[in-house]
Amino acid sequence: MNIAAHTVSPEEVMAFLDGELTPEEANAVSHHLEECPECAYVAEQFRQTSRGLDNWEIETLPAKAEDAILTALAVTKAHNPSWMRPWMLASAGALAAALLLVFGVQPHPDYKMHSYLQPEPQSASVNMVLPAPPPPVPGYTDSIGDASAVQKTQAYAYSERATESKMSGVSGGGGGEQHKAESIIQQPMIARSVALTVLVKDFAASRAAVDALVTRFLGYPATLTANTPEGSARTLQASLRIPAPQLAAALAELKRLGRVQNETQSGEEVTQQHADLVARLKNSRETEERLQAILQQRTGKIEDVLQVEEEIARVRGEIESMEAEQQALEHRVAFASVDLQLTEEYKVPLTAPDDSTGNRLRNAFVSGGRNAAGFLLGIVLYAAESGPTLLLISALLGLPVFLIVRRYRRLRRSV
Amino acid sequence: MPIALHDAHEDSESAAPPQAPVETDEQLMLAFAGGRSEAFSELFCRYKQPLYGFFRRRLAESAHAQAEELTQETFLAVLRAASRYEKTALFRTYLYGIAFRILSAHRRKAAFRATFLGSTDLEREPGRPEALDSGLHIRQAISRLERIDREALMLREFEQLSYAEIAELLQLPLNTVRSRLFRARTALRNILSPTPVSPTTSARIEERP
Repeated sequence: MNIAAHTVSPEEVMAFLDGELTPEEANAVSHHLEECPECAYVAEQFRQTSRGLDNWEIETLPAKAEDAILTALAVTKAHNPSWMRPWMLASAGALAAALLLVFGVQPHPDYKMHSYLQPEPQSASVNMVLPAPPPPVPGYTDSIGDASAVQKTQAYAYSERATESKMSGVSGGGGGEQHKAESIIQQPMIARSVALTVLVKDFAASRAAVDALVTRFLGYPATLTANTPEGSARTLQASLRIPAPQLAAALAELKRLGRVQNETQSGEEVTQQHADLVARLKNSRETEERLQAILQQRTGKIEDVLQVEEEIARVRGEIESMEAEQQALEHRVAFASVDLQLTEEYKVPLTAPDDSTGNRLRNAFVSGGRNAAGFLLGIVLYAAESGPTLLLISALLGLPVFLIVRRYRRLRRSV
Repeated sequence: MPIALHDAHEDSESAAPPQAPVETDEQLMLAFAGGRSEAFSELFCRYKQPLYGFFRRRLAESAHAQAEELTQETFLAVLRAASRYEKTALFRTYLYGIAFRILSAHRRKAAFRATFLGSTDLEREPGRPEALDSGLHIRQAISRLERIDREALMLREFEQLSYAEIAELLQLPLNTVRSRLFRARTALRNILSPTPVSPTTSARIEERP
């Protein structure tokens, strides 16, 4: 009953029964099984075992459970079709987020204008606050052509006139200047000032436009401050002087720069003040003339002469200060003051302006390196500080442990 | 009942070829990955019972609900991973591979729960009085086999996998599968009918401790 006596092993018999042999092998085994009852018995045993295992029955999958599974499958199918893999969802989400970031930070201008900042109601309120800002301007510039022409010349030849009036003052008054003064008095004198806050998109271009406008209208900036703070909107604050007749046109252009956030116009009626000044000036000049005449025609004590001279000097001073005042007043009328504030529409920059990614990476590497070096140094320091103590402790503890272990091993070996 | 089960299984295996237009599991799976959803229903019909049996036999006798749950989980996994199915793999191996992974995950969870939450796991006590006698008997006999021998045997006897498929699933060489199967079967025969009749087989069985 040696295995060697059989041409096939029981394992081969099993493989034969399982149908796992090549046709030739299977042939050989089946032949052998026919001849050898012992091996046939082995085969029968295998068959029996398999049949015995068949007795382990499993009830059919309950219909309820099958329904549940089918429902779950259907739900999954609906929610997770084959093309909608998690990575696809993730990348789609990332794309959407990127788009949102780009377009969310820089919304469409129209969208912003209409729904977000609501410019229309605001400009309406400006109109309500200032029901009639223009009337003085047309009256000033259009209706009286001659006067406005005079005004213009006056305005443009401002400095010329100043020297002239000075000269005339010295020479004892001139008809031409008088006439000018009269002509100014004829119409209401209004010192106009406008405050304008404009929100602009392109700050640099707007600023250039403001400069160009001031030059073109022969005005000048009295003060001008530009702020370029980091991390917020740039602003330009300027106090411009624009020739009064040009004010309307200049304002219209300024408003075109962007969205007007705030506009305030005011006009100060200085006609009375000016007339008063002119009258007083005339008086003073006459007084001065009389004093000059006294000084020239009359002779007297030196004391009296000095007194007259003193008086002349005082009157002269008065005249000059009044002239300056008049000039300032006329200037205020001739040049309207425009307090302009330009604010940039601030957009949060997409990349942090201070630190670029490269820079941050570099910084991270540097600090990482430092940390690692610090850590290594810490270990070395720790070893240097506590190493001797640790060695001592381990020597103290390790020796008895070692001895115990050795004894235990010996004991075990001997057992 | 066992006859019905095996008949159903046989239907999908051997009775399929005569009906010419019947598609193989692999064709169905590829059709489903290509978007034909009825293909999956067909696969479900073919494998719901075998897969349920797979889990029922490997879980505790009373763990019906878990077996149902794991069957569902397996089908869901197949459904989700449909696009990753490669034609080179036999569908059966693929399916049971997934089933094995789900089963071992379940066992890990159960063991964790048993260790840390102290809940008595049903798997720990196989063989309840309610179990059918024959089933219980075999279950106990099989449970005495070595783990890998047991798996090879069960895959062969109940899932009807070929040696090559078992080798792939258990990641063993083909010859090892054969010898393990032989060992398992002889041992099982000895357990089930403890009179060693054949000296050849008994000699082999003596080798085992």
